[in-house]
Amino acid sequence: MYQHRNMRPAVDRRDMLHRIGAGFGTLGLAGMLADGEAVAESTEPSPLAPKKPHFTPRAKHVIQLFMPGGPSQVDTFDHKPLIEKYRGQRPKSVDRKSLRNTKNGLFPSPFRFRQHGQCGKWVSEIFPHVGELVDDICFIHSMHTDIPEHAGAILMMNLGHLQPSRPSMGSWLAYGLGTENRDLPGFVAMSPYAEPRGKLANWGNAFLPGAYAGTYVNIASMQPDRILRDLNNQWLPRGVQRRQADLLTRLNQLDLRRQQTDQQLESSIQAMEMAFRMQFAVPEVFDTSGESRTTLEMYGDSEYAKGCLLARRMIERGVRMVQLSHSIDGYDIAWDTGHSEIAGGHKRLADACDQGIAALIKDLKQRGLFEDTLVIWGGEFGRAPTSEGQKGRDHDHYGFTVWMAGGGVKAGYSHGETDEFGCMAVQDRVHVHDLHATILHLMGLDHERLTYRYSGRDFRLTDVHGNVVHDVLT
Amino acid sequence: MSTFVNPNSASALTAFKRHLMLFILLLSCMVRSAPGFSQSPEEEFFETKIRPLLAEHCYSCHSTKAEKLQAGLYLDSAVGATKGGESGPAIVPGKPDESLLIRAVRYEENEMPPDRKLSDVEIALLTQWVEAGAPWPSAETIESNTVNGEYDWDHFRKEHWSFRPVARPEPPKVNNTMWPLGPLDRFIAARLEETGLSPVDPAALHVLVRRIYIDLVGLLPTPDQVQTFVSAARLDRQAAVSDLVNRLLDSPRYGERWGRHWLDVARFSDGLGGFSNPRAATAAWRYRDWVVDAFNDDMSYDRFLKLQIAGDLLEGREGAVATGFFALGPAYKSDGGDPDSIAQAKGETLDDRIDTLSRGLLALTASCARCHDHKFDPIPQQDYYSLAGIFNNTEIHDFPLASAEVVEAWDRKTKAIDDLKKQVGDLRRRARKEKRQLNEREQVLKKQLQAQEEQLKDALPPKYPVMHILQDTGSVNMPVAIRGNMRKPGAEVPRRFLRILSGEQRQEFTDGSGRLQLAEAVADPANPLTARVIVNRIWMHHFGKALVRSPSNFGISGEEPSHPLLLDWLASELIDSGWSIKSLHRVIMTSATWQQSSTIDEKNFEVDADNRLVWRMNPRRMDVEAWRDCLLFVTNDLDLTNGGPPFEDPAETNRRTLYAKVSRNGDQVAADAFLRLFDFPLMKATIAERPMTIVPQQFLFMMNSEFMVARAQALAKRLKAAESRPDAQIELAYQLLFGRPPNVDERSIGVDFLAAPSEAAEDQIGKLPLLVQYAQVLLSSNEFMYVR
Repeated sequence: MYQHRNMRPAVDRRDMLHRIGAGFGTLGLAGMLADGEAVAESTEPSPLAPKKPHFTPRAKHVIQLFMPGGPSQVDTFDHKPLIEKYRGQRPKSVDRKSLRNTKNGLFPSPFRFRQHGQCGKWVSEIFPHVGELVDDICFIHSMHTDIPEHAGAILMMNLGHLQPSRPSMGSWLAYGLGTENRDLPGFVAMSPYAEPRGKLANWGNAFLPGAYAGTYVNIASMQPDRILRDLNNQWLPRGVQRRQADLLTRLNQLDLRRQQTDQQLESSIQAMEMAFRMQFAVPEVFDTSGESRTTLEMYGDSEYAKGCLLARRMIERGVRMVQLSHSIDGYDIAWDTGHSEIAGGHKRLADACDQGIAALIKDLKQRGLFEDTLVIWGGEFGRAPTSEGQKGRDHDHYGFTVWMAGGGVKAGYSHGETDEFGCMAVQDRVHVHDLHATILHLMGLDHERLTYRYSGRDFRLTDVHGNVVHDVLT
Repeated sequence: MSTFVNPNSASALTAFKRHLMLFILLLSCMVRSAPGFSQSPEEEFFETKIRPLLAEHCYSCHSTKAEKLQAGLYLDSAVGATKGGESGPAIVPGKPDESLLIRAVRYEENEMPPDRKLSDVEIALLTQWVEAGAPWPSAETIESNTVNGEYDWDHFRKEHWSFRPVARPEPPKVNNTMWPLGPLDRFIAARLEETGLSPVDPAALHVLVRRIYIDLVGLLPTPDQVQTFVSAARLDRQAAVSDLVNRLLDSPRYGERWGRHWLDVARFSDGLGGFSNPRAATAAWRYRDWVVDAFNDDMSYDRFLKLQIAGDLLEGREGAVATGFFALGPAYKSDGGDPDSIAQAKGETLDDRIDTLSRGLLALTASCARCHDHKFDPIPQQDYYSLAGIFNNTEIHDFPLASAEVVEAWDRKTKAIDDLKKQVGDLRRRARKEKRQLNEREQVLKKQLQAQEEQLKDALPPKYPVMHILQDTGSVNMPVAIRGNMRKPGAEVPRRFLRILSGEQRQEFTDGSGRLQLAEAVADPANPLTARVIVNRIWMHHFGKALVRSPSNFGISGEEPSHPLLLDWLASELIDSGWSIKSLHRVIMTSATWQQSSTIDEKNFEVDADNRLVWRMNPRRMDVEAWRDCLLFVTNDLDLTNGGPPFEDPAETNRRTLYAKVSRNGDQVAADAFLRLFDFPLMKATIAERPMTIVPQQFLFMMNSEFMVARAQALAKRLKAAESRPDAQIELAYQLLFGRPPNVDERSIGVDFLAAPSEAAEDQIGKLPLLVQYAQVLLSSNEFMYVR
């Protein structure tokens, strides 16, 4: 990593981009301004202009269906019939001292499992819709992470680090790849009512340039002006506002001419133009009235399903990554209701997202977007097969399930295994860092080469860890 | 690796050589450290197998860190283990069967650990270790091994620019003797001449006066102030600059501006760090005001630092508020009882202290040595824990600013409330234990107790005022955390300063936490980093770019200074002036270098587009504080009340932006969103340099926010009150905002814009008068927001 350090030419990188690759920005802007509104001349490539990946990507967009709180693997997708046989017992493999409040014996899932699809995957009855699609899904049963506490583990899943001081995965993607629609942010994080624990850190840019920060959208309201501050001008109609914006552009251009050349001034002229257009592009994304009745019915009317539909609309319009976090009753770690009762808690949560998730996959397929989109489902850790109290389960970071579907991952496939009771990943273990490396790989990025120099060292999403899980790739 | 590059030269060849050296240095470090810390096999066995085992299974009851020591037995030192506890020696070296420790883990006697028998492998390891004589490496052996094995100290001290002593260089000779106004300029001119470049023209007076005001006080000059300066400068430019600089340095607005720069280094916030660090620091403003006052008083910088590290120890109550520098840092919490998470949180808290101290004051990335020896810089992991040990003996304390009686009365009252709560709890617990509901008598009692509690609560006066300070809690060393894991303690290390800065014979810190001695070491004029670091930061705020472009990293992986001799000359000036920051401002601002224009010279630009050689002033966007303050100031609406508790919502006050409440998480209070939109950094860690981003959301704010429309309305009102003709209004607006008249183009563009038929229907001009729309554009313009 030292090879090119002080050999940098006197001209800085931004400037080099400006001189060599002015094409990007101009093209993007020209496309954007095709409808004939006033054109602000600029040659400065936006930091969000599309960038070339390291190699041919398998997917172009990511939709992360994030399940904060920790869904239980043995009650959803990791079927372990032996738990029933050893009910109430504590075989050695689950007798792990550092698992938290799990002094009790094995606790069979209150849910029935059934085989689905060509691949014959066993899926819990609480995910009937997703169950129908197992032939499109790649399950990873051997996930594990560092600690069994929500705050740290959630950050690990979204930042690759236990503390909120690193850029989020979405901001890394925006940094590495830019975005295809310059009327919209490159990375959008959404949830109904409750932001996932850690809030801003989950979509923040930390030390990456601010352009790569995710934009958070609380989809409980579905009103774009409540989502993006100051999105609407309450005083001027569009034409009048255009006239005002043109005045600003003209004065700023005169100023720029006086300064001869200045990247910042050029960028600002462009950003102003983008802001002007976002005012109209963002409400369009949120206006689902043009969706067919069939489509709307397929998604159903849960809050989470609304988010799934929005995710598709954003991906369709070129947004690089959408993170959609689950929550009900405004609880930021919804799946944690598993402590007290799996039967009711998990059932309710699954009910609230199952149909929307399945609809999203079907919808992406129908529209030919599935091949280009990577869908990822999972929480920050799983839950232990032993019981907490009578009917609940405590956290288990030794083993849990995440599934992926779409661009570049095997369909109808299961990777890795937990032990016979679903407690600990034993076969082909996949750490969160490995998952991140794999996601970046699918997006055409080498996780070891996607670096950003800050405070004297090169940072990566995967820090000094991570191996691509080649086994799950098509 | 015999020669490092001479920092006075910057030719490509030397850069390449330096590179090669670095590469070789790194390679050799890797080779040398391959066997792992250069330990003997016994030590390695102990550190990797035995100590972690003892730590995990025994230390919670048998160590200096145990909450409640059991059986008087310490198993965290060789002495403790052989001396033993109430049951006698735990270890008889060489004789496992006679060692109580081994018998206990075999469950032959005393059955330890009580919750679960160790695995057969673990028992075998312990047995093997005792059999081998229970070798226990001392702190000293590890330290000396590391020193001999890891870093070539002399080499670093001689060859790396920032570790060399600060020497006062002679200003170089230059060919163009007309340009330099002082020694500073000769350092700049010499480098320019070397490269065949020349400085650009001096800035126009109206540009210069705006620059001086924004730089020093963060406010625009009024048209009158512009005029006064321009007239004076036409007679004697240098005298006019000097007078104005002196006058502004005396203004209380100066401390508000430059104190804020320091607050970035101090990662200052009003607490509220969110889930892992939720505490609100309600009295944080007392530290902020102390910083502002210190700048206004031109407190010597060495004293300024000493008070922030150990103000309570140096000056008691008076100085204690300065320790807010550390006390206002995060104190991470775990969100459950998981021991790994608790240890992690504690480690993070200590790391904040070390990171802020080392990057903020010394521009060293000591945090990199938390898990292993620093990969680039001569900072062994032991040094990290020498520093961590100091802060491990401290705690954040809310020091009462009230008489003992008031505090006692408050404590008494709150205790009474707690007692009542406890009594209610006891009733419930007893009933639950007996598996029954509360009986009738208990019901009545419960109601009575709760009524009393409510009464007391209602009568409780507001809590007495406090200040957040750091205070000592003890005076013990701490062990190295193996691979940064606080649950895997290694050898204990003495508290002391970094070896690279204070030498082999460095003193051990044993007075209390050791902060006082740490403060002396940091502020020691012989410390090669302290003066260089602050001089570089001040340069950065004056020029937009620093001389060392990694202002918080002067280590091997940081940047080298563009003007090493100048940096040292400035550092010497600072120290010789009695560490006076105001003197430094004078030196810099009266230089020809600082007074250059920001225009581009084609030839210079071709060679040095990045302006590393300072052939012009860097144009800069105002930071968010200056921008908002100026938006209010140009209409005479800025409220200049200084000091005191922060305001929550910038929409509801016209006070200076410095006084806004900000949360560490950047998403907890109203001001956060506005500040963050314009690159106010997240105050989670010491800030080296603010980022500068240009995003569309900023323009949504300028186009559509109520704040901007209100500012535009205020400006339009002022223009209209003073002038009735559009061209005169335009003229006044340009004088107020830009300190210059509009040119022909600007005038005609403005007149055209304002000339739309005024009786037009609302759908043609909207709900804002054209003059308001025009004012909003000028306030949103780049020329307003940039300093040239």
